[in-house]
Amino acid sequence: MKILSARQGRNPIRELSTPATAIVLGIVVFVISLYADYYWMMILRDALVFGIFALSLDYLWGRTGLLSFGHATFFGIGAYAVAILSTNFDIANITLLALLAGILASGLVALLFGYFLLFAGVRGPYFTIMTLALTVIASHIAVAWVDVTGGDSGITGVQPLSLTLGDFEFVIFAPQTGLYVALALLLILLLVIWKVATSRYGRLLKALEVNELRARTLGYNTPLHLVGTFTISAMIAALAGGLYASFAGYVAPDLIGLLLSTKVIVWVAVGGRGTLIGPVLGAVFVMQIERELSSINTSLWPLFIGLFFIAMVFLFPNGLVGLVQDLSGKMSKNQKKGGTESA
Amino acid sequence: MTITSLVPSVMNALTLISVLMLVAMGLGIIFGMMRVINLAHGEFVTIGAFTLSVLQELGGSYWLALMVAPIIGALAGLLVERLIVQHLYTRWLATILATWGLSLIIAQILQIIFGAGPQSVSAPISGTMDILGASYPAYRVFIVLFSAAVLGLVLLMFSRSNFGLDIRTVIQDRDMAEALGIDTKRVFSKAFMLGAALAALAGVLVGPLAVVIAQMGVNYLAKSFFVVIVGGAGSFWGIGAGSAFVGGLETVFTYQMPVTLAQALVLALGIIVLRFRPQGIVPHANIKW
Repeated sequence: MKILSARQGRNPIRELSTPATAIVLGIVVFVISLYADYYWMMILRDALVFGIFALSLDYLWGRTGLLSFGHATFFGIGAYAVAILSTNFDIANITLLALLAGILASGLVALLFGYFLLFAGVRGPYFTIMTLALTVIASHIAVAWVDVTGGDSGITGVQPLSLTLGDFEFVIFAPQTGLYVALALLLILLLVIWKVATSRYGRLLKALEVNELRARTLGYNTPLHLVGTFTISAMIAALAGGLYASFAGYVAPDLIGLLLSTKVIVWVAVGGRGTLIGPVLGAVFVMQIERELSSINTSLWPLFIGLFFIAMVFLFPNGLVGLVQDLSGKMSKNQKKGGTESA
Repeated sequence: MTITSLVPSVMNALTLISVLMLVAMGLGIIFGMMRVINLAHGEFVTIGAFTLSVLQELGGSYWLALMVAPIIGALAGLLVERLIVQHLYTRWLATILATWGLSLIIAQILQIIFGAGPQSVSAPISGTMDILGASYPAYRVFIVLFSAAVLGLVLLMFSRSNFGLDIRTVIQDRDMAEALGIDTKRVFSKAFMLGAALAALAGVLVGPLAVVIAQMGVNYLAKSFFVVIVGGAGSFWGIGAGSAFVGGLETVFTYQMPVTLAQALVLALGIIVLRFRPQGIVPHANIKW
């Protein structure tokens, strides 16, 4: 009981800080964008897109405790849908339509996958392993179905996002425009997910992680809520993937494979699972380190991720943000002296 | 359709099934015993295949590799178990993340040492042989027969030896096994080494048929976990059923469509099977998630 109340006391504070942090993030990115050159504009834009991707995983993993080891599948479905449709059809607004199609397709895959597994009671490690199998198969298809996906070399010449209504035309071509679109979408998603997370429904999702059986006993159709969360998370991931493809102008199999799936786990873990804004910052921060390290030697990065996973498990199981919180918590507890025991 | 025309597809299926069984056996047993998920298991297959490549490069024979690889695999398994898995028994998420990190490290180190290109390995037997009037590659026949012999020994060990009895006891009830004086951690340690040795052996067997690169392990990892989940963890026959399901269907579909599509279809069918048999095709009474 004590442990539970301690947890409930801490979480809302962490979640409440999201709107303020999001506004600060928005202002900081905007100010940087005024001074950044073309190259940094692109880097910042991609970082924000991957921030959306990290947010999608945190909505699933951070809320319900279900870990997807194959989230790049959904990112990749979004990216490939935009690439394939926009290079094959020449009609107005095709990229925008393709983005929506990708989001729907991704949601459908997640819905079917989730329906069969989650309603069968597949949870925890089994669910994680099945998502791993999903991403391996998805990347096989991306590599081997050369006629459609371009195989290893991928697809180039992806059309930029544009909106044409009569005489009105808006094309997202310059990195700066892409940056603002990504920033706006990221902030909207952050606020909406934060709103959901702090609502009654958010508490239910949290209850699914803490004790699903109890939630079911209270009359909630728990598999349904898990499938719903998984599907929404997959659709957000596809949005990020579609944006990435339309901004970058090309797609390749590394957008759908296991390595990207594990990268996004690192971003969320570094930023702090369940903190929403943390994973976004984690994505920006870790990608910058990756760029620095890869400029020294490209084979260093997988080694670094590997070591990070092992170090995380043994040294800081709650992520870097959790580590900082634990340390500061310990210090303040020592100051107060005789604080309550907590887990 | 005559028997002769069926021979190649049946033998292809048997090749895939026997390799899958060798790789998945270790995963299924250690999961059954301690609920441990080892994502570095695929690297034992890679280690086996690389052992073959290195030994052949040095002038050694295939048969030497077939004997050495399981030993190296078992030692690698011992290291992984001692350094990482042993400390994380009760935390499945931690185990998944740590062993995944280890898997990335092993694959990357192998790639740094041996390069990104495929390693050269050669089969000890070439040519074809005659089965019921159909000619079929002799090496694949060897894989099937040799795996069957090894798996037969494993089954015998499970059902007849004291070690097998200990393993089955731990799978059935770990607390009770400890109360009866079984050193469960020691038994687990040995079972882990056995699983790693079998995977390394499978690596040698598939080496001449597969593309031997540092990242080859992950395909076997994903597939053999799928075998364990669909077939049912913790029992020999669960792994057998899962391997037959995955290997059999994949081979049948491959005759009709591209191999990746076949794999996707098998995954989809497996997921549907799980909806109706969540504990796998051969459920173990004491293993639930």
